[in-house]
Amino acid sequence: MPITDPAPRPTAGVGIRARGLTKRYGSTTAVDDLTFTARPGVITGFLGPNGAGKSTAIRMLLGLARPTSGTITIGDRRMAELEDPARTIGALLDARAVHPHRTAYAHLLAFAQAAGLGRRRVEEVLELVGLDHAATRRVGEFSLGMHQRLGIGTALLGDPGVLVLDEPLNGLDPEGIRWMRTLMRDLAGEGRTILFSSHLMSEMELTADDLVVIGQGRLIAQASLRDFVRDNTSRDVLVRAASTVELARALERAGLTVAARTGADAETGAPAGAGAALLVTGADPSAVGHVAAAEGIALDELTAVRESLEDVFLRLTHDATDYGSHAA
Amino acid sequence: MNVLRSEWTKLRSVRSTWLTALSAVVSGAALGILGVSEVLGGTPSDLPTPWDPTATSLKGFLFAQLLVGMLGALSITPEYDTAMIGTSLSAVPSRARLLRAKALVVTAVGLATGAATTLLSFTVVQVALRGAGLPAAGPGDPGVAGALVGGTLYLTLVTLAGMAVGVLTRSTTTSLAVLVGALLLVPALGPGLPGALGDWFAGYWPVTAGQAAYTVVPVDGALTPSTGLAVLVLAVDAVVVAAYAALRVRDV
Repeated sequence: MPITDPAPRPTAGVGIRARGLTKRYGSTTAVDDLTFTARPGVITGFLGPNGAGKSTAIRMLLGLARPTSGTITIGDRRMAELEDPARTIGALLDARAVHPHRTAYAHLLAFAQAAGLGRRRVEEVLELVGLDHAATRRVGEFSLGMHQRLGIGTALLGDPGVLVLDEPLNGLDPEGIRWMRTLMRDLAGEGRTILFSSHLMSEMELTADDLVVIGQGRLIAQASLRDFVRDNTSRDVLVRAASTVELARALERAGLTVAARTGADAETGAPAGAGAALLVTGADPSAVGHVAAAEGIALDELTAVRESLEDVFLRLTHDATDYGSHAA
Repeated sequence: MNVLRSEWTKLRSVRSTWLTALSAVVSGAALGILGVSEVLGGTPSDLPTPWDPTATSLKGFLFAQLLVGMLGALSITPEYDTAMIGTSLSAVPSRARLLRAKALVVTAVGLATGAATTLLSFTVVQVALRGAGLPAAGPGDPGVAGALVGGTLYLTLVTLAGMAVGVLTRSTTTSLAVLVGALLLVPALGPGLPGALGDWFAGYWPVTAGQAAYTVVPVDGALTPSTGLAVLVLAVDAVVVAAYAALRVRDV
């Protein structure tokens, strides 16, 4: 990341903090008493189904919508109180939100000038986001991926310490997604605060360090990705043996919970002649293996069964979603 | 100053700005010529009385004013139509700074377009009148220079009002509808209303009042040029203040 101004960023080390953030539109509550933080130096994933209130919260952060109550601040300052907004916070809202007849260069120049920056910074940013070859093309001819690059370039113009990206991976091809991920990781590595929203858990698994999960405007969880996974994914073990009755008894004696017995069937892909299967919940494969070994029971299969993060997300947000089965 | 530069870049970097400005200048002059085409073949005794060759030459304002109004509206409505306004207000959170810069840039472009439209319309029509042997006005004649300044200011104010309408409506198409109503329909239909209401529209509807600014020969029942212009200035001020208030209070 080329930095034009060698002076330290005034906002390095500043995070985002929401406290009791609430937004009501008539009788609809879009954001409901939301409290969370996004720390500097890490990527915070802002996760929730469509319509969960992510964009509304981000718009309140940027001063584009007024909270009904509560606050959302950059450090401890609201958007309107920032002395140098472009150098403090950059935002990518909707990548398509550009005038289609303006060139990429003119678009960036207008926002650079608003921040007191010149043409050199525009050229740096065009290069940074890989649009230098398309600088003089009208934005209306751009692909979605190019729009996203232009949007993130606009957000980076002032070299801000805080970046807010609303669904930045939406509609990107795999190469674009990898590019955006690497860029976010690099930017966070420089000590910036990155808050990026998505309605897809799968995008978070590979990108986020911290998670803020919301549903129907309410906070469902705030945790590091690792803790979130540990606390919310059930750990089950599928074990298969010739004598499941004996094994089940041994496992229960060892304090493990046997949830289900299934017959040998084609569905589980069990080899022919293998025994029936047991599902042991909340256990490590090694614990199950040790019990079997101690009892001298030969195992035909020992498999850790993990709920995918997508499943966890769907389960957690299911109750909090407006759309039922369309949650993801 | 930074925001001013930014707003100038935004306005100059889309073709519609230049197309709209050019259309205003050309259509103003063309309609001016069309307006006098009927009298060009006649004699001075066929001319309507009182004969005001200056005001007559600016009849093309009827359409040109709609174009400069849209020029003003188009300085902001595409930002709403595309939702770019969110990015603009993230970069410049102060609504006052953003609107002031936009208003200054729009006023400057409106002034240039207004001056070009006024001068070109005046010149081509006076040349045509003189060529036909009819009484024409010269820039040195009494009251003519003032009327040309008045015409320029009239179009400038309409441009600024267009910007404010753009902020208030947040839509290009709605802005067009509002401008057609305020600039064309109300001045045409308002005076037909019964009694005092009709009289008020005939004299004080700000657009109609402002059109007195480019008359040299006083029209019966109309305001004086300076009073008419003052009425328009007050009305445009009010619309700009309303736009600022809306921008401040409203969620984007």
